Amino acid sequence: MKVEVLHATGCAKCLRDLDTLRAAARRADPDVEWKEIDILQALDYAVELGVLKPPAVAIDGELVFMSLPTSDALGAAMRERRKAAS
Amino acid sequence: MSSPSSTQQPLTVGRLAALADVSANAVRFYEREGLMHVPAKTQSGYRLYDTEAVERLRFIKQAQHCGFTLSEIQALLQLRDETSACCNDVRNKVIEKKLELEARIKAMKAMSTALDQLIADCSNDARPAGSCSILAALSDSARRPAR
Repeated sequence: MKVEVLHATGCAKCLRDLDTLRAAARRADPDVEWKEIDILQALDYAVELGVLKPPAVAIDGELVFMSLPTSDALGAAMRERRKAAS
Repeated sequence: MSSPSSTQQPLTVGRLAALADVSANAVRFYEREGLMHVPAKTQSGYRLYDTEAVERLRFIKQAQHCGFTLSEIQALLQLRDETSACCNDVRNKVIEKKLELEARIKAMKAMSTALDQLIADCSNDARPAGSCSILAALSDSARRPAR
């Protein structure tokens, strides 16, 4: 499973929250492919996903959160997707 | 462009507008929209502005040039006036605008591509407009997925 966080660099709050989210993602799926993307370096991709403002989170190439989720919400979304895929 | 110093005389709306290179009507419009402060009238019935109003007008004009709507400019001006706001807050507003513009550009490119297809499919001959493939395709588009 691939989790991508599209964020604007310099957002100190985001960077703090990312550590917590990364840990939550690894708990939900130890094999998760975790990517942190500078939105300005991937504008076309962000537009393609439908991101309106950073930060946003995509799971397996689909925009799932329009802002940073809580750890519980991210874990639940990942488990739900894994269940749907199996 | 001239830059009035703070020691200059208060400005009439006409002079303010000229310094900021906008019309007096634009100044009044921005006032109605809440982007400009409305000074009290003097005893002689004039509204007189200080030099900060020139800077504010130039800010509004430049922000419009970058694609910001009046409500977005209002938000930027509020950030400028807020002591708790930081540069990162402003940058995020600009990134949001950039994303919006890029999404619009993408949508418009798709429209342009659709127009290219209509033009290419048209036989461009003297048949009646009612038989034109472009009109037929537009009539039919609701029943077919967009290409």
